[in-house]
Amino acid sequence: VARLIDLAVSAVLLAGLYATMAYGLGLIYGVLRVVNLAHGGVIMAGAYLGWYLFDRFGIDPYLAIPVVLAATFALGVALYGLLVRHLPRGAAGGPASLLLLFGVWLVLRNAAYLLFTGNDQTLRTSYSTDAIAVLGTHLPVNRLAVLGIAVVTPVLLHLLLRRTHVGRAIRAVAQNPDSCTLVGVDVERIYMLSFGLGSALAGLAGVLSATLFSFNPASGSGELLKAFVIVVLGGLGSVAGTALAALIVATVEVFAILVLPSYLTAAVGFVMLVLVLVLRPGGLFGQRVLG
Amino acid sequence: MTKRHVLLGSVALALAALSACKPSSEGKATGKAGGGITIGATLPLTGAEARIGGFYKEGYELAFAEVQKRGGLSIAGKKTPVTLTLLDDTSTPATAVTLADRLINSDKVDFLLGTYSTHLVEAQSTVAEQNAIPYVNGGGAASEIYKRGYKWIFGTLAPVELLGTTLMTWIDEQQKAGKLPKPAKIALVWENTAHGKDFRKGVSDFAKASNGAYEIVVDESFELNGKDFSPLLGKVKAADADLFLADAHLPDYITMHRQYVAAGLCHKIVSYGARGSEKAAIEALGADNVLYVVSGVWWSPLLADKVPPAKAFVEAFKAQYGGRTPEWFQALGYETARSLFVAIELASSTDREKVRNALAKMKIQSLLPGGQLEFTASAGGEAQNPFVLQQNLPDGKAPIVFPHDMAGAEGVAPNPRCAK
Repeated sequence: VARLIDLAVSAVLLAGLYATMAYGLGLIYGVLRVVNLAHGGVIMAGAYLGWYLFDRFGIDPYLAIPVVLAATFALGVALYGLLVRHLPRGAAGGPASLLLLFGVWLVLRNAAYLLFTGNDQTLRTSYSTDAIAVLGTHLPVNRLAVLGIAVVTPVLLHLLLRRTHVGRAIRAVAQNPDSCTLVGVDVERIYMLSFGLGSALAGLAGVLSATLFSFNPASGSGELLKAFVIVVLGGLGSVAGTALAALIVATVEVFAILVLPSYLTAAVGFVMLVLVLVLRPGGLFGQRVLG
Repeated sequence: MTKRHVLLGSVALALAALSACKPSSEGKATGKAGGGITIGATLPLTGAEARIGGFYKEGYELAFAEVQKRGGLSIAGKKTPVTLTLLDDTSTPATAVTLADRLINSDKVDFLLGTYSTHLVEAQSTVAEQNAIPYVNGGGAASEIYKRGYKWIFGTLAPVELLGTTLMTWIDEQQKAGKLPKPAKIALVWENTAHGKDFRKGVSDFAKASNGAYEIVVDESFELNGKDFSPLLGKVKAADADLFLADAHLPDYITMHRQYVAAGLCHKIVSYGARGSEKAAIEALGADNVLYVVSGVWWSPLLADKVPPAKAFVEAFKAQYGGRTPEWFQALGYETARSLFVAIELASSTDREKVRNALAKMKIQSLLPGGQLEFTASAGGEAQNPFVLQQNLPDGKAPIVFPHDMAGAEGVAPNPRCAK
């Protein structure tokens, strides 16, 4: 029983990280119908920014979150304004956007190589290896913090989408951009905001990931793949669906060690992806419009 | 998501994964052929093994600089300049293979030096064999590489299986001295590569032959460059083992040990195979968290007191690199290049067959433990030098604790951290 509790705790803590990785990807797809392949690059950029602020100025990574959010939001807005908005409408989710954003990812990666070399970097704070012992289980404080942020993030996102004018506009644009134009919503501005917001969430995932794992310029591909699996499983546009899908993927991966060799457990999520695409192509929770 | 988007996304993600196999940057050729000898090499200068690749590069470059200083290699009484063409294999086997092919068939290098890390060497060495070109490496330790009947492959790293055996021999001494329980339960955790399998064999063969002195209660492999080891460590915790013996490369050692400490684990002996006292690991994990970790390495700067060529190397390295002390990576890079130079001079020719034969026959003074280097024919051309075990101690040093003739301090067992 203690073993199962340990595994369940591991799964919940891992789900927190997975969920933060997926929110941004889901939001951008939900509004723009674009699979943001630069998502992994922005996660990597968020990790480096968090590390740099800590290493250079001694700013705690959790206190640096607002700076990382602002910087990656600005990066997302710039990417949209300079590149994504020029994609032909209607083909935005097609090969053109995939190639463009894949190129952006490569640029980000190689910029990181130039700036920081290819060495692994680790963000080590005084509490990096601290843990709280509860009923014989050790809960690493970093993972608890990541879980807390992963729980708060969708609540804030939900409130933003439901309770604010901008949020309602985002949801409306996600449903029908043409009608929004007719009623005076600045669709381009909403697209830009959504891309910025999605990028900021990727940056958040990056800095949180950096508190747990080493990273280098090639980081981000694994995170993007995982986020992709979760967004597909969770179904389009459902913030709660994304969180639940993250929990399911993490639980299945963690509990797989009971029946599979450790090195195969990471592949379990992808097997789930294939099964869901075959059995429930709309995702486990169906297709919904943001909210 | 629509099916079309999911399909397109999947294809693009597959492309993204493949892009990791492309060279993201290539090291500049550090020299070019001009009547001299050109030696080609790849190293992981970017990607997961970039830090270590950089260390090997320093070793290679020091060896080449020394030859340049003396005017080149002596061949048939004439000094012949030797240059290095070094490319970045991005820590990926596919790139290591492609670039080796390019070095041989496009750049027309005379000989090859190997890359770093077993899984890259394993893939790349096949190209050298197919093209019948001498391939000397200091980065592939798994005996599997040398059991394929290849004729052109030579390795300066002793097999990882021997590392496992050496580690167990020291542990056995501690057990016989009453410092460890009998039987002792082992959690054996290894990376899912030929390197890890070799380590596993060394430990498990020793345990099997111990007449019940050791019981392996966890025997698990993990994926290279993993992120989340908490389920695996949960299994280790549940098994209530006495000894935690892992085999991991540096990035996995750092990631896994961080989670190990956070999970509140402690074992009477903790080892990550060849990793333990690296400066990068101490910086990333904190000196306190790596205390008493035991590592088995192919070389240590502390050998300078016992092995004259090791002393000469340490002095030369410090002079070249601003007083920095080398780790085993630079030493193996240096010794690998130097052994190829010696073979070329012994052959007194650039003929590949003659140099291969010289490599196969030679027995030279070396900076490695034991003081001599030969590429043992019965081991497929892999050197069989002994390992030295080091242990991180509270004074910040990591002295050699085994074998006794090279030891500078007594090893500590059981791990005093567990008493806290």
